[in-house]
Amino acid sequence: MLNKRYKYLQIAFNRSFEEVRSMINQLPTSDRIIIEAGTPFIKRYGMDGISSIKSWWGQKNAGNTYIVADLKVMDRGATEVSLVAQAGASAATCLGLAPTETIDEFIKNCEKAGIDSMLDMMNVKFPFEVLQKLKNIPNIVVLHRGADENVNNREKILPLDQIRRIKGAYNNIIISVAGGETTREVMRTFFNDSNIAVVWRSFYENPQNATRLAEDFLKLTR
Amino acid sequence: MPIIQKNLKNKPSAIIAAVFIFFILIRLNPVFGILFLLVVILYIKNNQRTSIDLKNYLGATIISKINLPENIAAIQNKLKINDLVEENEKNHLDTEDIFKFIPAGDVSQAIKQTKLEKRKKYLHIALNNSMVEARSIIQQLPSSDRILIEVGTPMIKHYGTEAIEQIKSWTAPGTYIVADNKCADLASREVEMMAQAGANASTCLGVAPIETIDNFIEECKKYNMDSMIDMMNVEDSLAVLKKLKKLPDVVILHRGVDETEVTKGKQIPLYQIKQIKGNYSVIVAVAGGDTIKEVQSALFNGADIVVVWKNFYQASGDTAQLANDFLKEIK
Repeated sequence: MLNKRYKYLQIAFNRSFEEVRSMINQLPTSDRIIIEAGTPFIKRYGMDGISSIKSWWGQKNAGNTYIVADLKVMDRGATEVSLVAQAGASAATCLGLAPTETIDEFIKNCEKAGIDSMLDMMNVKFPFEVLQKLKNIPNIVVLHRGADENVNNREKILPLDQIRRIKGAYNNIIISVAGGETTREVMRTFFNDSNIAVVWRSFYENPQNATRLAEDFLKLTR
Repeated sequence: MPIIQKNLKNKPSAIIAAVFIFFILIRLNPVFGILFLLVVILYIKNNQRTSIDLKNYLGATIISKINLPENIAAIQNKLKINDLVEENEKNHLDTEDIFKFIPAGDVSQAIKQTKLEKRKKYLHIALNNSMVEARSIIQQLPSSDRILIEVGTPMIKHYGTEAIEQIKSWTAPGTYIVADNKCADLASREVEMMAQAGANASTCLGVAPIETIDNFIEECKKYNMDSMIDMMNVEDSLAVLKKLKKLPDVVILHRGVDETEVTKGKQIPLYQIKQIKGNYSVIVAVAGGDTIKEVQSALFNGADIVVVWKNFYQASGDTAQLANDFLKEIK
């Protein structure tokens, strides 16, 4: 499980099976790296994809594996959570845009399966309001600017001011920020008190430079 | 009113009766006849459902004569054979060679449409359980071009796009396959994957960022797929549609499974069907109702596609019967 006092780098993988395999092999070993099986990757390869990532990273990183399955649950939280838990994921994501009933079900089932619940706040205007409606609080809240938003609309910015607000109200919550891609942006999210920074595009675009990129980002987590 | 509605179920006789009464009244007194005609026109105008029925009936009888897939196939084959016979006479080929060009098997199935038609009603069966279950359900389904097969989100997440390829291989050639990938981000990549797996339509969440939905619709056009926007948990579907650059092909009004099970009171917003169809030229699907009664009320409110899954979760002896019951409602 994650330590609240550490900073983590979460790398999302969205390329093909073989490419992801070689990228994971290139990564430096570190207990600060979280590996994410991206939504397109899951939809392409299913649960096989997750268990393969788990075994590749396990071989590389001496059993210290924290795998996030980016399920983006929108309905039927129970079925999907039990599937990824069986495949070996340590956390699963649910959309903050989903019906409140679904999020409640999702969090309950994550607890039951013994994995961390991540609530993805993509396109949610007021993350705080979503949290207030829930019966239980998720382990991790992801503040997220979508990839399509990033490309088509440069005006939208990450709501970094929300981090301290959420942390102030809920003690045990871990905040993750997704959608910043440069080292500068990652530095800014850590400076604003987030625990996890999610990156993917730079790895997606330069799979051969995975080692150097990861090392650059890892420096910031110290 | 109940008498008229009963009559309308029996459309041909209702129309004949109306014409008959009209002629009798005209004979008695031309003013009565014209008054009767006006009343009929007013009734049809005010009652949208009747007018749709009437249009469908009149349209179907005329168009079915010309437009039946079988007829088209027959005509095309005839043309092909004629051409070949001519060629044959020139080149002195064996007659056996001619028939090599005619596709084997059921021709009408081979040219089934790969896009949805606006005037038709469809039954959309979602497969959400295991592959074994999906296979036995597919085997029991009656063959009909009104049935759409959906590969549900849990199936895609469990087996990946292989699930789509598998299910496509089990169904009759030309069956319309919907990939319920519920895209929320990275639309271009997901649509490409679903297209490569052979799906005819893909879904995107209505709650997703507008940029994603725009990308999604554009990408679907590129691959000649139908784009479906799933309006689950969207308060105002019209507001979402208004913001888009281009319209999707299908809008799905959807009540989630978790919502239905936990909160009993939530209703599918059926009144929105007419709102949407009145403002935009899109096909409207309704998901989240599973009983025959709910299907009836969705169709009555103007839905073009009804999505069902719970009754088809597990294959049983009744699966074929059930599908036939639903199909009866649709026709």
